[in-house]
Amino acid sequence: MSQSMKFSRRQWLTTVGKASAAGAVLLAAPAFARGAGKVVVVGGGFGGATAAKYIKRRNPAIDVTLVEPAKTYYTCPFTNLYFGGLRTFEQQGHNFDELRSMGVRVIHAFASGVDADKKTVTLKGGDTLSYDKLLLAPGIDFRWNALEGYDEAASKLAPHAWKAGEQSKLLKQHLENMRDGGTFVMVAPANPFRCPPGPYERVSMVAHYLKHNKPKSKILILDAKDAFSKQGLFQAGWKRFYGDLIEWVPLSKDGKVVRVDAANLTVETEFGQTHKADVLNVIPPQKAGTIAEIAGVTNESGWVPIKHQTFESERVADIYVVGDATVAAPMPKSGFSANAQAKVAAAAIVNSLAGKPPAEPAFANTCYSLIAPDYGISVAHNYQLKDGKIAEMSGGVSPADANDDFRKLEAEYGVAWYQAIALDTWGTRS
Amino acid sequence: MHTAIRISGIAALALAALAGPRLAAADQPLFDVTVLAGACANCHGTDGRSPGSIPSIAGRPEVALKQQLLAFKSDTPPAGTTVMGRLVKGYSDEQLSALAKHFSQISKTPAAQEVAKQ
Repeated sequence: MSQSMKFSRRQWLTTVGKASAAGAVLLAAPAFARGAGKVVVVGGGFGGATAAKYIKRRNPAIDVTLVEPAKTYYTCPFTNLYFGGLRTFEQQGHNFDELRSMGVRVIHAFASGVDADKKTVTLKGGDTLSYDKLLLAPGIDFRWNALEGYDEAASKLAPHAWKAGEQSKLLKQHLENMRDGGTFVMVAPANPFRCPPGPYERVSMVAHYLKHNKPKSKILILDAKDAFSKQGLFQAGWKRFYGDLIEWVPLSKDGKVVRVDAANLTVETEFGQTHKADVLNVIPPQKAGTIAEIAGVTNESGWVPIKHQTFESERVADIYVVGDATVAAPMPKSGFSANAQAKVAAAAIVNSLAGKPPAEPAFANTCYSLIAPDYGISVAHNYQLKDGKIAEMSGGVSPADANDDFRKLEAEYGVAWYQAIALDTWGTRS
Repeated sequence: MHTAIRISGIAALALAALAGPRLAAADQPLFDVTVLAGACANCHGTDGRSPGSIPSIAGRPEVALKQQLLAFKSDTPPAGTTVMGRLVKGYSDEQLSALAKHFSQISKTPAAQEVAKQ
């Protein structure tokens, strides 16, 4: 839609507002009056792809463009099973065929600029897209050097593998090349970060691999915090399946790493202890994906404050942000949260373009973690608005005293969850 | 379903337009069962049609769905309940009734949905 049409739509809405007998005008109104408009979505992960799909489902007349550099999007969730040898990397990949078949214009490019006044997005290479509503689902970027010595170059030697892709393959390769009797050191970040149970599931799956392939090896987790997601369940599972293979060092026991020497695979803690790794996995401090900063929607924390009812930016009108980039606590930064938030934002965008108020939002999050094959645990919450803010209405973690049938069922449901959310997000079957 | 949404959208706009700008600008949130149901699809599949071992909920009888949801919410959930007890407790009975009705009205397969529309 051109700028002039955009103007005329607004002018028309204003006219409707003022008219006393607008009903007759409305019935004869052209297509754009039914709530069509132009939406640009940046990011093709759980948040962005879901938003594009659900906007189209709600109103096919809306012109939706999705901007995502990757032709195949690889998910972070379930890469831990790849480290455990339970899944191939290719199983993590999802294409955009369903979105295209629904009429979404998918552009494989990198969004490098946003002009919120002109309402345009600039692509690397120079093309410009105009929007009535912009939805950013940029995920995370890393705060390079916020942890001394850990920058992009260091990540080639000590992979983070906290974005799926080459980094995942690199960490897997390091793990496979490690000698039996070596030490896998994980540096775990302080809150908030992408996927709160992720580091601990990763450790579980690395332990599974080591137990069966390099049983003399050890895992050391150096953690910048004193507690973590599903901690009791993880620790009980580790003890049962991996004995003393895994050692967790919390913040209060000098677990916080302050310096990384990637070339020598050593790290130094707050109180001066040095640890030498055979494989070093550093999960660094994070922030919202860079395009959010460029768009001016981040705050001093580096994350994006949003209106809880719609996920529209608190700072910039007509820009919506979903997923890991946002400040949406108590919702965790997870693919599930991003998908749930994207549906709420999609409905709010569609309503707004139609001149309607947003619907009452509702969200859920369930994160399954696999400790060993056939042994899964979960955390699940229901979130709704309370006094205008996202609040936990109910939820919790799997019971501590559950039997093995229950754990097996949750391991199976974890796989079924991945199948369902992949289908719901990209329309892909795995 | 899309048609229904669009028609109700037009109806709401028409109402808003007839009532004047005040109602159109009201910040009162709407109840929209499709938004409430959005969070179900993450595990049960889009429109409640599951591709895996989590049960499909599309096209099951409303009474059965409602009974099952209320059973999850009760202090004695059915044997084998995992996450549903934790998730459902935070919904009101009215919300659960709306969800049961919503999913009962969706066809079990997309093909059946197309036939029903014609």
